[in-house]
Amino acid sequence: MASVSLYPLASLEQIEKSPSREDGLSEGLEEDLRAFGCKLIHQAGVLLKQKQVAVATAQILFQRFWFVTSMKQFGIGDIGMGALYLASKLEECPIRMRDLINVYDLLLQRTAHTLAVQTTSPHKGEFKYAPMSYFGNTFYDLKDALVVAEMQILKRLGFQVHVVLPYGTLVNYLRVLGLTSREDVCSRAWGYLNDALQTPVYALYPVPTIVSAAILLTTRFLGIPLPSTPPNCWWELFDANWEDVWSVCGYIMRLYRPRPLEDQTRVLGMVSKKGVRQWLEDNPPSRST
Amino acid sequence: MSTDEPRAGPSTPGTKRSRWDVDDMPSEQPQKPVAKKRLKSKPPPDSQSPASVPSSAHVSRQASMERRPAHSIYVPPRTFHPPIVPSRSVYCYERLNSIEEGSYGVVFRARDKETGDIVALKKLKLEEEKHGFPITALREINALMSCKHENVVGIREVVVGDTLTQVFIVMDFIEHDLKTLLTVMPAPFLQSEVKTLMLQLLSAVAFCHERWILHRDLKTSNLLMNNRGTIKVADFGLARRYGDPVGVGGLTQLVVTLWYRAPEILLGATTYSTAVDMWSVGCIFAELLLKEPLFQAKGEIELISMIFKLLGPPTSTTWPEYQTLPLAKTVNLPAPHPSQLRQKFPYITTAGVDLLSQLLTYDPEQRITAEEALKHPYFSESPYPKHPDLFGSFPSAAAGEKRQKPYRSPPAPARAPDYKLLTEFDMP
Repeated sequence: MASVSLYPLASLEQIEKSPSREDGLSEGLEEDLRAFGCKLIHQAGVLLKQKQVAVATAQILFQRFWFVTSMKQFGIGDIGMGALYLASKLEECPIRMRDLINVYDLLLQRTAHTLAVQTTSPHKGEFKYAPMSYFGNTFYDLKDALVVAEMQILKRLGFQVHVVLPYGTLVNYLRVLGLTSREDVCSRAWGYLNDALQTPVYALYPVPTIVSAAILLTTRFLGIPLPSTPPNCWWELFDANWEDVWSVCGYIMRLYRPRPLEDQTRVLGMVSKKGVRQWLEDNPPSRST
Repeated sequence: MSTDEPRAGPSTPGTKRSRWDVDDMPSEQPQKPVAKKRLKSKPPPDSQSPASVPSSAHVSRQASMERRPAHSIYVPPRTFHPPIVPSRSVYCYERLNSIEEGSYGVVFRARDKETGDIVALKKLKLEEEKHGFPITALREINALMSCKHENVVGIREVVVGDTLTQVFIVMDFIEHDLKTLLTVMPAPFLQSEVKTLMLQLLSAVAFCHERWILHRDLKTSNLLMNNRGTIKVADFGLARRYGDPVGVGGLTQLVVTLWYRAPEILLGATTYSTAVDMWSVGCIFAELLLKEPLFQAKGEIELISMIFKLLGPPTSTTWPEYQTLPLAKTVNLPAPHPSQLRQKFPYITTAGVDLLSQLLTYDPEQRITAEEALKHPYFSESPYPKHPDLFGSFPSAAAGEKRQKPYRSPPAPARAPDYKLLTEFDMP
């Protein structure tokens, strides 16, 4: 690894005013929708037995996308599907369109079912997947959406789809800190990195900062002391600075906070842009702020 | 691990930084804001101090990186990362003339309306794509973006037209391609010029291989040359990332224009690697010396027999794995005879023949790598490589300065995606 690879990160303006927030979505709701879109990508990846590198790449492209596009314009379901399709090509493990569409159809149906159970018809019973009809339009609609989504991701990211994954860096850093013999440290830190894929951090901070955050959370959780008083701070070894590391930790920990049922339910109806538009109509943004 | 060791190296910012500040503060004023900026958590975007970024951003980046001992060179500051920028419209460019058309699409010469720069626009063929955006085009764009090198054609951006099927790669415009040049030149390149060109080619190939990119279509028509004696490797349309070991499904044999194709691909290997590019480099080297392609075969069988005739048939020492290759059984070996390279190239030095024979080595394991070839004695013996500035200049056919009909070389192999999905139907 001789080259310094400069992957794109959101600029300050893009962070301050994301397109979705400009359209009236609240910061918290955008965060929830990003996380839910990434969960769908993850679930699709598991069902397709896709390699984790492709799934992680897809999630990072997905996170970048929402710094240049509003969720009012494209649905998180479609873009997630497009991102996974694109990332699979980028990681040289392409998947069939049909398989991806079938899997997303299942996930969307399941989402709709969960939503129905939690809101309108609580006695609907167990989820049962209804395969798409041979002559129906579902397949072609999803296929069109997939092709458009893939192209839109490429176009709106300016074809800068280079992604650097954090796992190799984590191994190196744990080695430097002499923590590789602790299996609990490795797997917990690895887990934090994976969970962080549901947050925008990979589009906001360089990899060393994110990896340092994962190590910080891990060592704090397991009570492992590391040199942390200036001028001897371990994260400085990795060119991370404290405020950024702390901020990444915040993004990750927010994923685990208990959520009221209402918050869990509202994203289920907003997987498509139609749902987002409906929500925006029902909850018009207060322009005064 | 203690961080307050004074000689603890670049990864200990705490101590190094303060010492460096004290050392340099009085002498070099303009550098100070750069050092300061790094300490802040999120510098505002306009704090990119003009003093540290003078004219060309690229050069100054490298320069200022060297002046930053406190930061690991592997971790550039946050502000060095590009922002997320959507593609611009193709209407930012004014079309001038078309340069060439191939299986991959059309190449235009165009002018950037903002800066006036002359660029090459390569339009990708995207009609009738059954699998979304073609993986080959993705590989080409990614390969170009990750191989920024003096001797690799520079990609500027990717722009889009009105519809989703219009995508153009914007590259630096280079006046010549080496193939056209070789046909119109009155005399072949001098030895000193060949050495310069080969060094440039080898450093580009070494750079790509180091970044895990195989070019897979090196040939003289894909080597562009400007009027300042610099060649640039172009057309990464068949390039792809490779791994060790090679990924699932192996690699396709449908690569490399026939005349430049390595014997292991001809014989059906699916796990080839960087050595295939080195064989092509050998063919290019020979072509520069001969002023015409080395193996002008019409088909694969003819090519194999030409190779065997020139280099002698492979033996168990020159190519131990030969018999295990899928198509080896179908080829009849000629009677054993030694390599004819010396007779074919009577005018180059022993070192030159040695380099050529190391590039045209049968066994991919024994074939010289780009890194090794750069250190070959051929380049350090007289006549020395000529300085690029001393090269002559020629009228540029691509810029429409003079039209010439080059001889025809066979086209690149059809661009079937090398995954097995193509054979499967995407219909219900």
